[in-house]
Amino acid sequence: MAVDTIATVDVDKKLQAESPQAVLEYALSQFDDIAISFSGAEDVVLIDMAHRIRPDIQVFSLDTGRLHPETYRFIDRVRNHYQIDIDVLFPDAAAVNKLVREKGLFSFYQDNHQECCSIRKVMPLKQKLLTLDAWVTGQRRDQSPNTRAHLPVIQDDRAFSRPGDTLTKFNPLANWSSAQVWDYIRSNGVPYNDLHDRGFISIGCEPCTRPLGPNQHEREGRWWWEEATKKECGLHQANLDSK
Amino acid sequence: MKITLVKKILADGSPCAKCADVQEKLESSGQIRQIDETLIADERDSDSPGMQLARELDVSRAPFFVVEKDDGSRDVYTVYLKFVKEVLGQQNSAADEAREILENSNDLDFL
Ligand code: SF4
Repeated sequence: MAVDTIATVDVDKKLQAESPQAVLEYALSQFDDIAISFSGAEDVVLIDMAHRIRPDIQVFSLDTGRLHPETYRFIDRVRNHYQIDIDVLFPDAAAVNKLVREKGLFSFYQDNHQECCSIRKVMPLKQKLLTLDAWVTGQRRDQSPNTRAHLPVIQDDRAFSRPGDTLTKFNPLANWSSAQVWDYIRSNGVPYNDLHDRGFISIGCEPCTRPLGPNQHEREGRWWWEEATKKECGLHQANLDSK
Repeated sequence: MKITLVKKILADGSPCAKCADVQEKLESSGQIRQIDETLIADERDSDSPGMQLARELDVSRAPFFVVEKDDGSRDVYTVYLKFVKEVLGQQNSAADEAREILENSNDLDFL
């Protein structure tokens, strides 16, 4: 069943006050073709929560070819722990081959991460999302107070929807803090990526992720050589909210 | 079918660079002739027509396109290449489309 735009906004107002588990209950009750996007990091809590509601929950991961060995092992550990299929998605070989032939294996340090991420992450993600009616991410507001200050719990995903159709995106952890996620992991015995014990907070590809020291924000662990993400295209929320 | 383009003026009064880029592409390709109306979302004026439409359709970025079909239903496009492909029939490379999506979406960095 598709949720239209207006309904999505109204539903978000209600779900903002709900727990991640209640958001997942709602999402799974509304959609059959729904899957969790699992990055191999703390978003494992979504799998734990969803598995209790729907044991055969669909999960996919983007294998960019550049993940840490620990992350590959962790993805497999999660697969075995929950006895679920994890659809591991690969980038288009010809596109990666062209990029590497023209710019080498570390072009992102010279240009920025956009081209490599587009090919290794966004293209396969786009193909996957064409097969779904809804998807679930582990995004949280506290991961980036600037760009995620208004992160909804449910949103109409206009970038990845099929032509003439809707795609709904759920962010059940939007209002949780990192501390709440780790409380959940520890109190429920949820498996986690070994890299977290070595100072990694945010985990992405190996060349683009680094461990952090005290008082560093987790965003500083990713693409640290680039300037802060440009935000010009956002419409200032205060103005949109003013009516 | 009616196509509306919404462009943005920033809070400091300057035009949005992405909007200018999209406008230039529409003009050089001749696709601008298929745009029926252009509205301005002025960040200094929450009652400007583009800001009103953004609020009504829950759009949080610009530029964006609204395609109103003959039955009155409306489709919103926040990705230029998706709009020109699905509405105007232009062929794009998958890599270019992915790149635009990523550049427009601060929130995709969690992947
Ligand atoms: S995170 Fe780095 S290595 Fe991974 S896809 Fe993006 S630019 Fe490429």
